[in-house]
Amino acid sequence: MAREKKVEQYDVVIIGGGASGLTAGIYCGRARLKTLIIEQALVGGIATNTNDIENYPGFPEGITGIGLMNLFHQQAKKFDVKFKLTNVKTIDLSGDIKIVETFRNRFEAKTVIICNGSVPRLTGAINEEKFLGKGIAFCATCDAAANTDKEVLVIGSGDAAIEEGIFLTKFASKVMVSIIHDEGKFDCNEIAKAAALANPKMEFYHNTVVESYEGDNELDKVILKNLKTGEKKAIECATCFLFIGYLPNTSLYKDIIDMTDRGYIITDENMKTNIPGVFAAGDVRDKLLRQVATCVGDASIAGVMAEKHIAESEIFEEQIMAKDGIAYVYNAIESDQRYFLSFIEEIEEVYKDYCYHRVDTYKSEGIADRLGVESCPSVVFIKDGKVEKIICGDKCNKDEVRDIIKNNEETKK
Amino acid sequence: MSKEVVLDCFGEACPVPLVKAEKALEKLEINDILIVQIDHSCAMKNVPEWARKQGHNVEIEEIDDGEWEVIIEKVK
Repeated sequence: MAREKKVEQYDVVIIGGGASGLTAGIYCGRARLKTLIIEQALVGGIATNTNDIENYPGFPEGITGIGLMNLFHQQAKKFDVKFKLTNVKTIDLSGDIKIVETFRNRFEAKTVIICNGSVPRLTGAINEEKFLGKGIAFCATCDAAANTDKEVLVIGSGDAAIEEGIFLTKFASKVMVSIIHDEGKFDCNEIAKAAALANPKMEFYHNTVVESYEGDNELDKVILKNLKTGEKKAIECATCFLFIGYLPNTSLYKDIIDMTDRGYIITDENMKTNIPGVFAAGDVRDKLLRQVATCVGDASIAGVMAEKHIAESEIFEEQIMAKDGIAYVYNAIESDQRYFLSFIEEIEEVYKDYCYHRVDTYKSEGIADRLGVESCPSVVFIKDGKVEKIICGDKCNKDEVRDIIKNNEETKK
Repeated sequence: MSKEVVLDCFGEACPVPLVKAEKALEKLEINDILIVQIDHSCAMKNVPEWARKQGHNVEIEEIDDGEWEVIIEKVK
């Protein structure tokens, strides 16, 4: 029998508690929104896999990924953000109130921010599944000490592979690196490449990929295959670290949220997805650079946009649509659009029963979008809680506006 | 009706909470809930990891500073 789920209401539910989720939490919490972060594993996300973060501003000496994420976590808690450590089972984002369910709770939220991040990509080689966590690892920080004086293998040649490989040489006796590219070619930055090539403990196998993983219970060797010669080589190692990129964690949103062929969520520059009130931030987004710094940028925008969405929904429903009236939608920085304001004031004096709203789109187009306005300036007539008519663009004719109001007033009487 | 069982593992270090949780869960029926109370941060990692690997539903709640409840719903 299904257990009854506890229902809780929030302004914002953030799915994912990594750098993005925590940042969005800080912004929403500070805006006094009732905020919940749902994290399925450990707070801090994938940044905790990185030993040294040297390029996150504000920490000239560098900081560990875990250290930095603990600070994010503390800051979010300070703003009274609530945490739930479990995974999301189902979502329903279609209505004004979004539903996010875990196995014990049903959360109802005005907005949802998707910060699911990404998971490490696997090689797909033989026996991979069998040795996950038993010799195949993704986190040098976590597993370096256990490999003291042992030989390890790193797969990949990007920044993560080479930088973490260099870090591993502080512990391991030898760090072998399997690289898919031709001799001398790396995907990482030049500084890391130079440091790696100068490191006597590092050895490189170019043009190779993993063919299979071998061992009894624990991994003890990896078979590399040379892509050019087809030659197979057994590499004995205590641990094989995979640093071959990441895959977005978006299966939950398939066919609901627009994404790229590779499963990254598509947003606009304000982190809006295709569903109103649903935002996405961080590694889960389709973008060029995935770093703690870009997560912070994304998530701060998403947090502010979530706040704006909630405020605009309230204004829209409780003020604009609640009573018959007109809304003049304009952009305050355009002088010709401001010009019409004086006319609105004029008719406001004559027809006092009518509600008059001035909607400035300069900072946000949220209310204009809800009204269905496509261009500024526009005059929107609201009647019986519905948009009755929109006169848009240069056709904001004073006489026409006056006539419609007059007509409405007369039919009322 | 499914039941809830609370397992007090406060003050116990790894791997005791994990072993106790394994035994306790064995005795439960499908849909029952086991709540493992822990204050040892290593158990906070290995108990949920084990339960998830078994395919059960897992939720962790921080009930106080450094005290957690790992809530496990037996699904098979």
